[in-house]
Amino acid sequence: MKYFLWNLLLAFVWASVSGNIAPETLAAGFLIGFGILYFVQPALGPSSYFKKVRQVVFFFFFFLWELFLANLRVAYDVVTPTHHNKPGVIGIELDAETDWEITLLANFISLTPGTLSLDVSDDRKVLYIHAMFVDDPETLRKEIKNGLERRLLEVLR
Amino acid sequence: MTEALTILLMGAGTAFMVLAAIGIVRLPDLFTRMHAATKVGTLGASGIVLALAVHFDNLGVTTRALFVIGFLFLTAPIAAHMLGRAAYFTGVPFWEGTGVDELKEAGDGGGSRASGDPKSPNAAGEGASRESEDPH
Amino acid sequence: MENGSAIETAGLIVLACLTGSMLLAFYRLVKGPSLPDRVIALDLIAALTVGVCGVYAIVSDQSVFLRPAIALALVSFLGAIAFAYYIRKGGTS
Repeated sequence: MKYFLWNLLLAFVWASVSGNIAPETLAAGFLIGFGILYFVQPALGPSSYFKKVRQVVFFFFFFLWELFLANLRVAYDVVTPTHHNKPGVIGIELDAETDWEITLLANFISLTPGTLSLDVSDDRKVLYIHAMFVDDPETLRKEIKNGLERRLLEVLR
Repeated sequence: MTEALTILLMGAGTAFMVLAAIGIVRLPDLFTRMHAATKVGTLGASGIVLALAVHFDNLGVTTRALFVIGFLFLTAPIAAHMLGRAAYFTGVPFWEGTGVDELKEAGDGGGSRASGDPKSPNAAGEGASRESEDPH
Repeated sequence: MENGSAIETAGLIVLACLTGSMLLAFYRLVKGPSLPDRVIALDLIAALTVGVCGVYAIVSDQSVFLRPAIALALVSFLGAIAFAYYIRKGGTS
């Protein structure tokens, strides 16, 4: 957190020294500040900031990629004359515990085409999702647990 | 360059939108239609709004466009989740090709239905009757 | 205006495609066997209208058309939520 504030401050310093506070200069300042902070890290004390930033960026691109793949699958099924989807409702045992984690996971699952979160069990252990391509419930479950959930929890914890 | 990018984004967004519209007509049941309509449609709208931001290349327009995209991506899953949940628990029929239904197998739906809905007497028999119920 | 005309042509084609999509969504809105079907059709129509506003803003070079897009993005979400609540309380007919 402290590193993030430092980074913002450096971005503003860079923008004001450059003479225009436009989004481009702010972004450039943020990147340069990130690099500087990375080098002076030993002097300021250890922090998980760099790991977090890397995880967030990875998660962002991972999610974009998943979105793209899922879109292609749904699109393929829409335009081809035969339906080869096999929808079904499956339950996923949650590793996420707090309300915030479960909400975010359910939202990300709903946002991907092909999966839709329906309900959370009363003891908040199982998330039920409706999926469009359930060829094998076990593989889909593993895919979501090891892909989306693991990465999301990595970012949040 | 800007023109090409604008046209590319606009075309991609429109392609998604057309796919969503075809999907909503062609797919067999409510839940699969929902996969096509809500998410693919949102993606298409975001693509077009992004094209708009690229075309005008102006700070005010860009921030507003990003606001629209952020809001679309924030609200689309919530609306989809609430509609899907409501439809599931009021017994909208599945397509016959549907495989497993672990929520019904778990028999857990009754409990969460009662807790989510204060008018639980109405909801008590739904788990058993949701296959036979016909909304027509 | 050579560059502008390329965007204009593309924009007109895109508008035609969006209009066709809207007709398809209207078909589902009229026919849809259950109420949730109609609600998602309405939701898709709102998203399509956001798209039409955006494309029209690009074609006519007027950024004010972004404002109805913002308003629509906000309002359609509330509509879907209200319908979901109503379906939970009432029925699907």
